[in-house]
Amino acid sequence: MAMTGETSTQLALRDPDIRLMLRVRNDDDAAFAELVELYHRRLVTIMQHLVGKAEEAEDLAQEVFLRVFRGRKKYHPKAKFSTWLFTIANNLALNVLRTRQRKPAIPLNVRDSGPLGPRPAEQLVLDRERSPHDRMQQQELAAIVQQALGTLNERQRVAVVLNKFEDMNYAEIAEVMELSTKAVKSLLSRARDNLRIALKDYIYMDGGRPGDNGQRDE
Amino acid sequence: MSSLNDDDRANLTAYLDGELDEETAQALEVKLSQDPDARAEVEELKQAWTMLDYLPQPALSTSFTHRTMEKLAVEKRPVETGKMPTVRPATWLGPIGWAAAVLLAAGVGWFASQRIWQPAPDPDEALVKQLRIIEKWRAYDLVDDVGFLKQLDHPDLFGDDAGS
Repeated sequence: MAMTGETSTQLALRDPDIRLMLRVRNDDDAAFAELVELYHRRLVTIMQHLVGKAEEAEDLAQEVFLRVFRGRKKYHPKAKFSTWLFTIANNLALNVLRTRQRKPAIPLNVRDSGPLGPRPAEQLVLDRERSPHDRMQQQELAAIVQQALGTLNERQRVAVVLNKFEDMNYAEIAEVMELSTKAVKSLLSRARDNLRIALKDYIYMDGGRPGDNGQRDE
Repeated sequence: MSSLNDDDRANLTAYLDGELDEETAQALEVKLSQDPDARAEVEELKQAWTMLDYLPQPALSTSFTHRTMEKLAVEKRPVETGKMPTVRPATWLGPIGWAAAVLLAAGVGWFASQRIWQPAPDPDEALVKQLRIIEKWRAYDLVDDVGFLKQLDHPDLFGDDAGS
């Protein structure tokens, strides 16, 4: 969140990652390695939920860190370091998602199932035809959720992922996405309603749900 | 069919996230308490949100940091283009070059001005050159030709011995 009225020194005193980044600004490679080590897990996770592919997520996370290094001389602490980092990640992810939308992958027909069985998109069709009493395996459910997330537009997806997995409040998301808090509220409202509709048929069909860690709204 | 209007529905997510102001949240709670359909809708929103926990967690590579640092090292390396290194001119050549250019420009300018700009001829110049002749013009006018004049200059005619 933006911390208006605070000087860079005050911010640096409060946020150890800002101190690390200030060392990076002075060409300290060890400090950069420390930042990568600290943040790569969170960044790869976010990227994977946004782009859906593990390998691509690692490449994108790496590119985010390289952009941090390239932009080190222009770094002036105005907010938490993580906010700046996720702003760079957001810009990169949105570019990737928009490019992908302009050049969509050719959809496969249901009969094109691979040797490992039906793909997630096909699974969604198949699962809708199943009896509600059928028990889904966790992996199958993961594919359904991934598919539901894929129905959101890029900005909705980014807002959802930052809210859910980075535990960011609306003001922080607004800063990362360079939007107003009101716009974030509206974005998340539409996104969550879309998720509700997409997942409605699967709610309560999972038996035991995965751990409720990260669940803030219950 | 729930009794929630569009505004209420737009506020539901913010309510669940604790981002609604107290007054609006209380008004929404009153509606929810009176409307089982609205409560079911809220429950669906919650459950759909919980289902995001099924998303696969990335299997992180242990060498991520190492690989990133390697990539950084490659990026920091100067780019080798394969071209011959360009020879930078010596620093002292600069001022000399400028001076030569100024001199050359001045010379060309002077030459061009001489060729292009010629002053108008002085009308008195011919008079000045012929002044000595003009002053004795009356005497010369009496002379028929130059040969006769030269004969007059002969010492035999007007010398000290002549007529003596």
